[in-house]
Amino acid sequence: MKKVFIEGIALAAIFFGAWFGLSRIDWVSMFNIEQSTKNIEEKLGEMYWDAYKKDEITTPSVNKAIDSIVTKICKKNRIDRDLITLHILDDEDVNAFALPNNHLVVLSGLIIAADSQEELSGVLCHEIAHIELHHIMKKLIKEMGFATLVSMTTGGKSPEMIASTAKMLSSLAFDRSLEKEADMKAVDYLIKAKISPEPFAKFFSKLAEKQGTGVKYLSWFTTHPYSKERSEYILEYCKKKAIQNEPIIAPETWAKLQEVLSN
Amino acid sequence: MNSPTAFPYKPNDRETEEASNSYLMSLVALIAGLPLPIINLIATVIFYLTNRKGTYFVRWHCTQALLSQFSLFAMNVCAVWWTISIIFSTTLISNGFIAYLFTIIVVNVVELTATIYTAIHTRKGRHVEWWFYGSLTNLICREQR
Repeated sequence: MKKVFIEGIALAAIFFGAWFGLSRIDWVSMFNIEQSTKNIEEKLGEMYWDAYKKDEITTPSVNKAIDSIVTKICKKNRIDRDLITLHILDDEDVNAFALPNNHLVVLSGLIIAADSQEELSGVLCHEIAHIELHHIMKKLIKEMGFATLVSMTTGGKSPEMIASTAKMLSSLAFDRSLEKEADMKAVDYLIKAKISPEPFAKFFSKLAEKQGTGVKYLSWFTTHPYSKERSEYILEYCKKKAIQNEPIIAPETWAKLQEVLSN
Repeated sequence: MNSPTAFPYKPNDRETEEASNSYLMSLVALIAGLPLPIINLIATVIFYLTNRKGTYFVRWHCTQALLSQFSLFAMNVCAVWWTISIIFSTTLISNGFIAYLFTIIVVNVVELTATIYTAIHTRKGRHVEWWFYGSLTNLICREQR
């Protein structure tokens, strides 16, 4: 019995030792797996953006104002701004979302619904956090499967499928744990960019109240539920941090931006 | 794997053929069952059940073949499900996964080689006890008096 036990332990040790030893080698880089995944993400990003780009707003003043906010957030958080492609769409829906390959899409409805640039900055930080934490591809793989995504990028794409999955992307609800992770990261981004996170925390409660008043098109709220709880944990997290608030764009620029988009 | 060792009695020609077949059975099933590991386990279990009332030599080698298939089955099932979870869910390809695949390939090759070696020697009436599996078989399989 003792012999069997010793031999069994030795065999298990050889197996796990070999596995552990081999896992020390960086196979992922050796086989260029990350680059292949990146290529798939780039193709998906292009395909999905094609489904949305007809509604893009190209008014320079609008783009410049939002770009200033995104650029400052990126700069203060050492995020490569050139890797994020910002798009503003003419859509009354209160929503912002990220597409594969770092496309950040902001709908005009969200900019109009935001009472301050801090509220909008909070939502932008939240979406940038999803991009930086690679949540979009993780969620897409979970929803559709890696095999489907590969076939979509290698010729097996039908316009109907792209249209339906593009719609899904704009209303994509992440898992609760991923949302909390993005919230916390967003708060860190805001603090480093010297923007108060409090308006962002209150934005959730505000949208929750608006939903009860018959206001339509609150996609960002419906895909980001548990608003009261989220407001609370964001405010609790903020208590431990030193908060500063320096507006990125001038108040009159913000007012003009909302006026242009409302018309 | 151990070198051929002594067995309590000298098996006859029919016994050596049946004992050798237990390894050939798992060998054929191993090749057929590579994509689906359950196939080789089922094949070996069926062969074991049909020979469990055979002579001590036949029973002993059927048991050793079956036990080795159990652990191989568990390892291959993990590899198959890990691969499926990468294709169909959020699991990402990691260094650990690739290292596991290489380890499994080595284990399968060693098992294949040991199976061929044992099948040949058993057919010639020589008794071969594998490291760990042989000792475990000695505990499970007793000579009926």
